[in-house]
Amino acid sequence: MKRLSTALTHGFIRCHECGQLIKTKEECICPVCKGHVSKRRNKNLHLTAALVISSLSLYIPANIFPIMAVTELGSTEQHTIAGGIIALIRQDMIPIAMLVLVASILVPLLKLMGLTLLMLCVHYRWQVNAKLFTRLYRIIAFVGRWSMLDIFMISILTGLVDIGGVAKVIAGPAATAFAAVVVLTMFAAKSFDPRLIWDHQLNHD
Amino acid sequence: MSFEACPECDLLLNQTQAAPGDKAHCPRCGYLLQRPHKHSIERTFALSIAGLILIAPANLLPMLRVKILGNIQEGTLWTGVGTLLKEDMWAVAMLVLLSSVILPFVNMLLAFLLSVHLFYQRSNSHMIPWMRWYQHLYEWAMIEVYALGIIVACVKLSDMADIKFGFGLYAFIGLLIVNAMLANEFDSYTFWRRITELAEK
Repeated sequence: MKRLSTALTHGFIRCHECGQLIKTKEECICPVCKGHVSKRRNKNLHLTAALVISSLSLYIPANIFPIMAVTELGSTEQHTIAGGIIALIRQDMIPIAMLVLVASILVPLLKLMGLTLLMLCVHYRWQVNAKLFTRLYRIIAFVGRWSMLDIFMISILTGLVDIGGVAKVIAGPAATAFAAVVVLTMFAAKSFDPRLIWDHQLNHD
Repeated sequence: MSFEACPECDLLLNQTQAAPGDKAHCPRCGYLLQRPHKHSIERTFALSIAGLILIAPANLLPMLRVKILGNIQEGTLWTGVGTLLKEDMWAVAMLVLLSSVILPFVNMLLAFLLSVHLFYQRSNSHMIPWMRWYQHLYEWAMIEVYALGIIVACVKLSDMADIKFGFGLYAFIGLLIVNAMLANEFDSYTFWRRITELAEK
């Protein structure tokens, strides 16, 4: 059985930057945008794997440590990410609580699992429904930025609630870890090249 | 006959030009290859000017005013960044500053520079780097996520404070709408094609 046909098997490489198709088999400089043209981005997956492992290990402190401390009339309460969601549920704000749950707990976790699945698929040359896996990649690349929701919310709260000993919101150590998770997963998604999924699929027709 | 390739599945395709209003999808993986708009350059030009005007009040005027136990506090886009810096959370502060203030401005400026050059047919050797920067920075400007953050913050504050909205928030919402329309109108396929045509002249 033959591999699926790609521009690469026909002797063309598409420039990552400007989309120009270049008739070449070697890495070169794009004649249109002067960008570096390579066959695939991060073909060996080292960079993507490193970013996924780093963000996975930061995901743990991000969820264990308090992401913010709320002081009201002298009493201080520490909130973790999950604690903030529970506080919202107690306020009867179920839809907002669900929103935060999806954006700050489920999205980063599912993103990391999804990227791992994509990397395994490429590494072990699994025969999969490539269209479905490409769609998975697209979803992962799209939703990443929405995890910043929690970071923005904390930034707004610390700015607004800052009245001496009466009421104060302080960002906790988990905020830095969580911000790093979001940034690293965004870079990880960007470093993965979905064309690698298609490269080793066999032609079944 | 010239060819092009799908960026996500690398299928070799005959180069076509979709009609304005139509969409061209990759037949194999479904990637949206082209979505040309009528007057994409003119509209990007107009919207980027509107965006650049709205950025000033959205950044400088207070967005929210809260009253907690008689104390009134106002917040702009910058307040949170300042407090985070004071608390030694400089990494988070920089990230918030970049994604809510600096990069939305840089992106708007790049869209303006690109569309103004294409509109007046002026060639400029910086246009290709500008286009590349625009494509890379696009996803790091997160004002729509920030808007969602404002909503969640207001809900969290609702039982301990009175919240009033300021003019900064209205300007910010305007910026949000302009930004979304700009992202919709900015057609990188057409832009790249026009830039290379200009450069070859």
